[in-house]
Amino acid sequence: MTTPEQKTAKQKVKGPIRWEAIIPFSAICLIIGLYFHFFFDGHLRRALEWAGYNAVGAEVNIANLETSFFNASLRIQGIELTDAERPTHNSLKIGDIRFSMLWDALLRAKVVVNEAAVEQIEFAVKRKKPGKVKPPEPPSNKPSLAEQEVQKLKEQALKEAQGQAGDNVLGDVIAMLGGTDSNVQLQKLQESLPSKALLEKFEVDLKTKQQNWDQRLKSLPQGKDIQALSDRLNKIKYKDFKTPQELQTSLQELDKVFKDGDAMYKQVQSTGDDLSKDLKALETQYKEIEKQVKTDIKTLEQHFSIHQLDAKALTIAVFNRYLAPYKAKFFRYKELADKYVPPNLMKKDKKNEDIVIQPHPRVEGISYEFGRLNSYPLFWIKRTAVSSQAGLSPEAGNIKGEILNITSNQRLIGKPTVATLSGDFPSNEIFGFLVRLSLDNTKDESEIDYKLNVDSYSISGKELVQSPDVKIAFNKAIGSMGLEGRLTGLKNIVLAMNNKFSKIDYAVSSTNDIADQILKAVFAGIPAVTLSVEGQGVFPDIPLSINSNLGPELQRGFEKQIQAKIDEARKKIQAMIDQEIGKQKAQIEAQLNQLKGQLDNEVKKAQAQLEDQKKQVEAKADQAKKDAESQGKKKLEEEGKKALDELKKKFGL
Amino acid sequence: MTLLLKQLFNFLKLLNSDTGTNQLAAGLALGLILGFAPFLSLQTLLVFAIIFIFRVQIGAAFLSAFFFKFIAYFFDQPAHLLGRAVLEAEGLRPLFVTMYNMPLVPMTRFNNSIVMGSMIVSILLLPFAFVGFKIAILKYRATVVARFKGTKAWKAFAATKLYNWYTTYDKLYG
Repeated sequence: MTTPEQKTAKQKVKGPIRWEAIIPFSAICLIIGLYFHFFFDGHLRRALEWAGYNAVGAEVNIANLETSFFNASLRIQGIELTDAERPTHNSLKIGDIRFSMLWDALLRAKVVVNEAAVEQIEFAVKRKKPGKVKPPEPPSNKPSLAEQEVQKLKEQALKEAQGQAGDNVLGDVIAMLGGTDSNVQLQKLQESLPSKALLEKFEVDLKTKQQNWDQRLKSLPQGKDIQALSDRLNKIKYKDFKTPQELQTSLQELDKVFKDGDAMYKQVQSTGDDLSKDLKALETQYKEIEKQVKTDIKTLEQHFSIHQLDAKALTIAVFNRYLAPYKAKFFRYKELADKYVPPNLMKKDKKNEDIVIQPHPRVEGISYEFGRLNSYPLFWIKRTAVSSQAGLSPEAGNIKGEILNITSNQRLIGKPTVATLSGDFPSNEIFGFLVRLSLDNTKDESEIDYKLNVDSYSISGKELVQSPDVKIAFNKAIGSMGLEGRLTGLKNIVLAMNNKFSKIDYAVSSTNDIADQILKAVFAGIPAVTLSVEGQGVFPDIPLSINSNLGPELQRGFEKQIQAKIDEARKKIQAMIDQEIGKQKAQIEAQLNQLKGQLDNEVKKAQAQLEDQKKQVEAKADQAKKDAESQGKKKLEEEGKKALDELKKKFGL
Repeated sequence: MTLLLKQLFNFLKLLNSDTGTNQLAAGLALGLILGFAPFLSLQTLLVFAIIFIFRVQIGAAFLSAFFFKFIAYFFDQPAHLLGRAVLEAEGLRPLFVTMYNMPLVPMTRFNNSIVMGSMIVSILLLPFAFVGFKIAILKYRATVVARFKGTKAWKAFAATKLYNWYTTYDKLYG
């Protein structure tokens, strides 16, 4: 018999499996399924818009997004990227992007797409309402790496601007033609010249040194001191010594005279050395002043905007404004690339690197990629077909192309990413464009080769120069463009761009009548304008060489009138410098020469005299020693003879 | 949140009762794996499945996972070194290459140095943790719970109507 308590205990014993959880589990699965069916697409769309806004810095809109779990597919329609510089327009609009991932790869935690399609591409389309542009980030105390990079770019831009002496060369040329009188300003500037201040300081230094040297030269042994030394020397006996004591005394006296002479000599020598050093220092200081004078002349020339009337400067002046937006875009994309392109894949052993193992550095830990040839990389879109047909919307173009092998590991598949696009935008009058971009990360340093050709594009109302003095613009023109180059390691860049503008309707005018006539005559004789830009360097320092047939033509047009004016202005500045600085310079040169003369005359003369005395002392001392030696020898011989004679006598010889 | 609190409450109730020692120890030990593994990985999913399918104390597993997440955070550097040494071992490379290219296995994220290091440590510690937790629970019940139930305060509380109502409610709906 079992009691009721035992019965309850038996009923409560449960097995190891939680059967009662089946219903809650099914409910959870159903909720997840329903979420993905009804809400996930919308949430993903908003997440992508948010991420795009933060990455690009301008509003990104997606009209529709569809995902399918069973097909592992994604379709995004109506992608609009706001142009940050013109928020009323889109910089890019893509009608449709669709692709399916391979389940085989997804099960291996990889994303592989055999073929993706990108359709209906449009540029610079007007938006329904202006897009939001991300405000600049507030400045922090400590500059981030990106900020440092931006600062570098700013400095580079400033440097470029300084190098090009502004884009107002033509304005300056016209001001020259107008014959601005610069004498008044020159007068004012005279007082503030740095070289003048340096010269004045140098003069004061020189005077102080001179006083100091006068005192030191006075304390040097004079002629009478040297004469006294000579007299003492002459009194000393240096031959015919009768006793060794006499020789000893003479030698002691000679030594004393020698020591006194040597002390004087050393004093003169050290003074001479010090003077030479000071003279050298003064000469160096003086050379610096001469350099400063040259710098001042250049500064004055810049102040009065006296440039070399050369073709290059004129070319830059004309095309600087035209190229500025392209340069700005180039640096903007470089900045984005620096921010988002992954760093070069980390290699443990660079010498014997294994192509199938590539660890990726992470915030924490390292994720290794144990790939093998013909296996899937983490991410791989084998082919993206790009196509667009004009006519579907006013701004759409005829585009055909493909992007091959967008992947996270090019080494694994052994292929670079290559994009080729060609076509035209009839509505924008752009015909025959071809873009070829190759991104090769299979080598030590990534290599990006790019090529862009546009056979023909329409230009209207393009301002080249817009200053109060001069206006140059293309009312209408047909342009063609070729750009190619290479970017190595995202740092070293080589670029070459060739533009040609034909069928040009110029709009040229100037406030100066002569300039107006010259400009109109020059431009009338140029049916086609060429523009070539070449550059090579390491970011952000990329010196650009800009050439155009317009430069030499303008140079020839202006040369006769303007060169005479430039020469005249240069002469004025040179004369002012000569007048202001020349006087002081002559005085200082005279003072310097005086100091040098003192060194040559007084010091060297005293040095020579003392050296002569020293030699005399040495000669006399030698003579005294020799004399003493010969006397001693004679005495010894005599004594020897005597002793021999005595010996002979003893032996009866 | 209510479910989670209920599970934690159940954990305390079970800990202070005389039954479910294995359920508790298994929950705490599996929590160790959860704590050491990254949240989005196949092994986490597998442990969750075990916890939900088998009668393992869920509250104990979550509590243990929460605790071991902190331990794992401080253990990151040694785990990275250990994982790196294992992943870079020449002899194991063919195995890893095969595993990396197999279906599902890469979802464990074994190719990450910290995940690999943590995984090795958590799997090695799992049996010891189970036995250790079991002994600890038994000792806790024999010393702390028994002593507490022997106190006058507890006896006085157990004699109140409130406690009787609670035990009746617990028998019916607990």
